[in-house]
Amino acid sequence: MAKDVKPTRKNLMAIEDRIELSERGHDTLEQKRDGLIMEFMDILEQAQDVRSELDANYETAQETLNMARAMEGDVAVRGAAAALKEHPEITTQSKNIMGVVVPQIESSRVKKSLDQRGYGLLGSSARIDEAADAYEELLETIILAAEVETAMKKMLTEIETTKRRVNALEFKLLPDLNENKEYIEQKLEEQEREEIFRLKKIKNKKEKEAAEAEAEAEAEEATATASADD
Amino acid sequence: MSSAGGSNPEYVTARVRARKSALYGDEEYRKLVRMGPSEIARFMEESDYEVEINALGARHSGVDLIEYALNRNLARQFDDLLEWAGGRLYDLIARYLRKFDAWNVKTVIRGLYSDADREDVEDDLIRAGEFDDAVVDSLLSAPNIEEVVDRLSGTIFGADLDAAYEDYEDTNVLVPLENAVDRTYYGHLLDELVVDEATAQYRAFLEAEIDFRNARNALRLAQSGADIDPAAYYIDGGTLFTASGLASLSQNRDELVAAIRESQYGDDLSAALDELENAESLIRFERALDVALLEYTNGLGHVFPLSITPIASYILAKEREVDNIRAIARGREAGLAEDQIQQELVIL
Repeated sequence: MAKDVKPTRKNLMAIEDRIELSERGHDTLEQKRDGLIMEFMDILEQAQDVRSELDANYETAQETLNMARAMEGDVAVRGAAAALKEHPEITTQSKNIMGVVVPQIESSRVKKSLDQRGYGLLGSSARIDEAADAYEELLETIILAAEVETAMKKMLTEIETTKRRVNALEFKLLPDLNENKEYIEQKLEEQEREEIFRLKKIKNKKEKEAAEAEAEAEAEEATATASADD
Repeated sequence: MSSAGGSNPEYVTARVRARKSALYGDEEYRKLVRMGPSEIARFMEESDYEVEINALGARHSGVDLIEYALNRNLARQFDDLLEWAGGRLYDLIARYLRKFDAWNVKTVIRGLYSDADREDVEDDLIRAGEFDDAVVDSLLSAPNIEEVVDRLSGTIFGADLDAAYEDYEDTNVLVPLENAVDRTYYGHLLDELVVDEATAQYRAFLEAEIDFRNARNALRLAQSGADIDPAAYYIDGGTLFTASGLASLSQNRDELVAAIRESQYGDDLSAALDELENAESLIRFERALDVALLEYTNGLGHVFPLSITPIASYILAKEREVDNIRAIARGREAGLAEDQIQQELVIL
């Protein structure tokens, strides 16, 4: 608040420095925000593609599973599923997109060949293979969707934060600093005017006193001259 | 009964004929495809499945009730066949029904592998094979897979499972054990089969079963593109492929399809092979194989009415009935359209 600031030249210089820094920060943050939005639009497009792929894969997986349960029996499908204990392995790393740390999910052993699925080939059917294939495909898409959508959410949060910072600088900090600067400048100008006025006053007073002293001296001299003539 | 004693095809075929006439026909299937799961269960309760629906009704509901009732009824019907048959006929029937022993062994092993509850594993068994309740219960009470392999040492599965157990221990994957069980079953289908005029066609049916299994597996291997040795999955005994021939055909799907087309099954499977050439999925082809096998056995029943063939024809028809009812119930549960369900049914 302007009233809290001492209107000194030192403060004015400090505020001018802060304004300069804030303006630079504002420009940088604006650039970062625009850059993030552009990156976000790319990721959004990718996320939409992955999401629709996920929906389609889910439909297919559910359909093949339903058909396998119908034609082979639920017992056979559950049995085939129970023949495998090993779970897919998922490892996460991170990458940096314009300062935002987003996950990079690597999966292994999701897609399996016929001899890695646990159930025997001789006593099973293509329906179970196709259901397993479809679910492996679905799982891979889920992992990709998790990566892309997490990145998208993190980007969105960062864009929001950056936008708030830009707005805070643009609509709060910089106006406040400018207001303070103006206040100090006005106060300093006022102080200067007061000083000039005071100096003028003193000067006038001194001039007046000098004139009076001179007049007095002249009067005394005149009196002295007159008494000498007498 | 058992393989000891005299063969009694007259008695068994007479009983089987009555059972076959009680199987669902077109009319019943037309009604079933319009019903929901609970209506199907009710319909079954009013037919041959009454005992099973009533016995399982308190523990299961919906489509699960239907599926468990179907499996239990299948087991009861096939158990009766083994009960009635004696001598050589028993041996011929048991050869085919041992596939349920294989199923039960695999189910118990899978249950132990995945730490499933004993009750859940027991529910999934189909006691239609040669193993009696004592053998099945002893397998169910085994504390680990090694013990199951030990307890099967006196059966046809013992030697192969024992040999595959080392592989299982190395890889901790059930594939070697499951393949050993299935390979034993198929390996014993034609084992020491004495062929005369009446059993020649039964042998042809069993050979077709092996050929079709080899064809399915070869196509699945070709489809998967995985680096798997096809010879490891070859089942000996069929007439269509040799181990080396199948190994080279598995590398090229087109050549494999051409080989099947030129075989004795070519005419029966022609439409399915056309479809297979134009589509990626093997499902329609597998269904065509099932239909071809069923049509083949259906014809066999009329040629030698007092032999194993009408019994084999009934076994396949009963299996198909169970598959059809389950497909209808699961299809309705999944919201499939009537047309779509009807397409999947195999009705002769």
